[in-house]
Parts: sequence; C-alpha cells; structure tokens
Amino acid sequence: MREYYTPTLKNRAQPSDAWIASIRQQFPTETTLDEVLTKKLRNRSKTAEHKTDFSDLETRLFDYLKKATGQDDIVMENLHRLSGGASKEQFTFNLTWNQASGTRSSEKLILRMDPSESIVETHRLRESQMLDAMWGEVPVPFVHWVDPLGEHLGHPFLIAGFLEGTVQPEGGDKASGLGMFFEPDLRSDLKEQFVQYLAKIHTIDWRNKPLSSYDSPRDNHLEANEWSLGWWERVWHEDAVEAHPIIENAAAWLRENMQPVEKPVIVHGDYRSGNFMYSDDHQINAVLDWELSHIGDFHEDLSYTTCQILGTPMDDGSVLTSGLLSKGEFLDKYQQYSGNIVDPKRLFYFDVFSYYKVAVISVATSSRAAYGRKTHLDAMMNLLSGFGYTGISALQRLLDKGC
Amino acid sequence: MSPEIEQFLSGMKKTIEEVVIPNLTDRFAQEQAGIVAASLGFLGLIQDKAFHYELLENQEYKRVLTDVNDLLNHTSSAPESITDITAKITEHFTRDQVGDPTHLRPYKFIRASNEVMKELLCEFIQQQPQMSTELRSAFEALMKPFFKAIEVRERSWVKALGFDPEAEQQADIADLLYKDGFLNIDKP
Repeated sequence: MREYYTPTLKNRAQPSDAWIASIRQQFPTETTLDEVLTKKLRNRSKTAEHKTDFSDLETRLFDYLKKATGQDDIVMENLHRLSGGASKEQFTFNLTWNQASGTRSSEKLILRMDPSESIVETHRLRESQMLDAMWGEVPVPFVHWVDPLGEHLGHPFLIAGFLEGTVQPEGGDKASGLGMFFEPDLRSDLKEQFVQYLAKIHTIDWRNKPLSSYDSPRDNHLEANEWSLGWWERVWHEDAVEAHPIIENAAAWLRENMQPVEKPVIVHGDYRSGNFMYSDDHQINAVLDWELSHIGDFHEDLSYTTCQILGTPMDDGSVLTSGLLSKGEFLDKYQQYSGNIVDPKRLFYFDVFSYYKVAVISVATSSRAAYGRKTHLDAMMNLLSGFGYTGISALQRLLDKGC
Repeated sequence: MSPEIEQFLSGMKKTIEEVVIPNLTDRFAQEQAGIVAASLGFLGLIQDKAFHYELLENQEYKRVLTDVNDLLNHTSSAPESITDITAKITEHFTRDQVGDPTHLRPYKFIRASNEVMKELLCEFIQQQPQMSTELRSAFEALMKPFFKAIEVRERSWVKALGFDPEAEQQADIADLLYKDGFLNIDKP
C-alpha cells in the first residue's frame, strides 16, 4: 500500500470521479483531448502496471487484420519491436493481402500502439486524421487502419505504411532524436526542406480537411491559445508528482500574457530532428509524430522548433535548430517560404510556452508514467526528468530575462 | 554497513555494461539496458546527497513561507483567499516547526513536509492576480531569488544525466549543498 505525501498527490494517483470532474472544469481543452485525458485518469487506478510481454500480440494482430481486410488468406510475417522513440510502442511487420485494386501484394507496415500511460497522452484518431489530411501535402506515412478505442489489441493503435529512410545519422543515439548532429553536407541538403515543409504545413487550408476530431478555433480570438495552454496546464495538474513554484508561476504568466490568434493554422506540435526521416539521396521523405498536432498559432511551432534545449550544441557555443541551421536563419527562411511575418512578442510568449510544455511532459508525465509503472520505457521516463528540470531552469532564466 | 550503496550501484552498472549488453541481440533490449546503466551511474553520483538535498529544501521553503506570511501580516489588502493559505501554513508549521531539529527526522517525513510547503507556495502563486499591485510587487521580489535558487539547484542535480547543453557551466551539486563542510543553510 502506497503512502501519499499530500491529498493532492493521492488524488492524482487514485483519481476519483469528483476530482476528475473538477480538473475537466478547471482546464478546458479540445473535445477529443478531454476524452483521452479523462480516459487516462479513469484507467489510472484501475489498470495494473503495463505489461511488456507481447507473446499474444501476433495472434491478436493477425485476427484483427483478417477482420479489417475482410480476407482470410492474408499472410503476416516478421513482427518486430522497434527501438528508439519515447512515446508509443512500435512494431513492424510484413502483410500480404489483396488490395482494393484486386492485386495481391506485400507491404511492410508499422503498428503504433499506446502503452498504459505515455509520456504524452494523445488520440490515435486525431493522429490518423491529421496524417490523412497531410497525405499529398507533405511526405507522411499512409494510414491503413486505426483503432482509437483499443478494442482489438488492448490499447489504441494505428497501422501505417512503413517508410524506409534514416531518422538518426550513423552514431546518433540521441534519446528521441534530441540534439542530433548532422554532418555539414547533410545539414546543407536537409535544412531548406526542413523549413519548407513547416511553412507548407502552416499554409494548408485546414478548414477544408477532414479533421472532425479537432476543435476549430475562431480567427482573432484567444481560444486557440486557451486550449493549448489548458491542455498542458491540465496535464501538469493530472500528472505532476510534486508541486513546482516555477511551473506554477510560468502558467500564471502565460495566462496573463496570452494574445489572440489572428489566423489559426495547423500546428505540428513536435517539429524537430527525430521526427523526420530522409532518404539516401538526402530528401526528407517523411514528417513523423503528429500526435501533438492541433490548430493554433504558427509561432507555437516556430518557438518549439527553435527551442535551445531541443537543438544541437556546436563546438563554437552556438546551438543549431534541429542540428540543421541557426535560429535566425530558420526564421528568415520560414518567413520567406510561408509569407507569415514573425512577431517577436508572440515568439517570446511561445518560447516560454515551449519550455513550459517540455517541462510538463518531461517532469510531470514522464515521472508519473514511471511512478505507476505504466510504460515499456519506465527507466527512460525517469531519466527524462533530467531533460525536464533543465527545461525548467531555462524557463526561469527566460522569464527573468524578459522579452 | 558494507558494501556501501555506491559499491552496489557501481557493480550493477559494470555488470550491465560489460556482461549483459554485449550479449543482448535485440536492439530495443540493448537500448533499455543502456538506459538502466546510465541511471545506475547517475544514482551513484547523487545517492549520498538526497537526504541533504531535501533537508536544504526544507529549510528554504520554511524560510520563504515565513517571509510570505510576514509580508501578508503587514498588509491590510490581502484578500480572503490568500489569508486562508496563511492559515494553512501556520497549521503546517505546528507539525514541522521552523526551529525543529528536522535533520533528526526520517527522510520520508522531510519529503512529505517539503511537498506540503511546495503546494502551499504554489497556492500563493496562483493567487497573484488577486493581489494588489503593491502586494504583488513585494511578493514577486521575494520569489525572484527563490526561483533562481531552485532552478540552479535542480539543474545541478540533474546535470550528470547528460541532457544539459550547458552542463559544464553548472555548479556541482555538492558545491551548492555544502559550505565549509556543512549543509549550506543560514543558521538561525
């Protein structure tokens, strides 16, 4: 029987219906995010620690695929767990089945499945809808099937085409791709594409895309930013294993300094090295990890992507955005490709927001997941607190410095 | 008592790195075993300082909450929501008094007391918009050096985990915790 230091910590570890209702009321978020966060809380004290034994996965996946394709003669082979990543459990496998065109073919697929609790609790339906919306706009994997409720394999999942390419250069070995180093030639080849794809994402007319699981914020209104901040404030108050005055103060600052979003755009939410893949001829052939995407202020992506702690420190003391280019060069090129004008005041706001978000994810949620033994990466979740506390330090230094 | 904790941790790290990892064939298992080894290395560095870290925080939070209470006792403009928090602090200080020999308490007691004090300070911070301009400015002046001390201490604590691009510029945690061979707290 665990002892809790305070009633608040007990509520977070064993959430009651009344406590969950109060959290939902206090921190408004998008409808589907509310759905997935509420589900996380309801499951928290019901489910045992996360199982990492997948001996029955092959059978369950095979049964699911027979139903999903409506074909009994499918062939499933080479099911393997993927290394890397800090969030979902990922497996690859080969599937042979009769395509809609009538031809029988084989394809390598990736299964992306939620653990019991993750470093970020997100909705597989949102991710699959966004990938569908991006298909033909920027390079993304093709989604074949999604089970947002987790009815078939015990956890929510999506299955997409597996794209061949490189995420980390040889010898990279960086947790989740943070601080990745690219050789100068590679850097030079990738940086332009890296900025162009973000500019493209921000100029897509999202209102004409099938994004029913995303709430649509109004133009010239605070609500996009209220939902963004509400999301991470809520996560902090659901997951934190200790109170933190700097985090509390930053949240207050973010509430008081929030600006309306003139024209909301699709925000990737995690646009950085580690979340794109490139081919042998140095072409970015996939933008990955859309689980944090939402509709909001383009400055949110710009600040996050150029956030120093996510960048690559160089020998001369500079920091390269995603290991590719300086922050100044990134912003100049972004303005050129997108036509959006960067507002320094909004950029500073989202610089603070980005560190806040990094801290919530890496101090609160990662520690909570490991505390409850809820992931396949418990050891890594503890280690990531080092990233989070470094982020809190940078957050405080930023607030001290001011815009 | 022997072996000391550091020796246990060092032995486990060596075994994982030199025996287990080279014989693992699964990439995911290798990656996770590497993280376990890194965690053991980190624990080896900080395990003998955890108690004093909490003890230092205990003294720091007692001091800042006392200062906040004094500030509020000298202002007539504090709203009721804030005076409610001061009452909770007074109540907490009956369980872990400012002048108590807290260093004789068990680790868990100190950790619990610290968590209560952190939550109470966060409650004050949440109430900032309700404070008068004068009170808020005085409160912020109290918080500024306190926040600085927290971020410096925490960043030093985790610097060996390898995520800090400016790790070399951060003080060693022992240099922050101890001064002249003793825990670095102002004596009453």
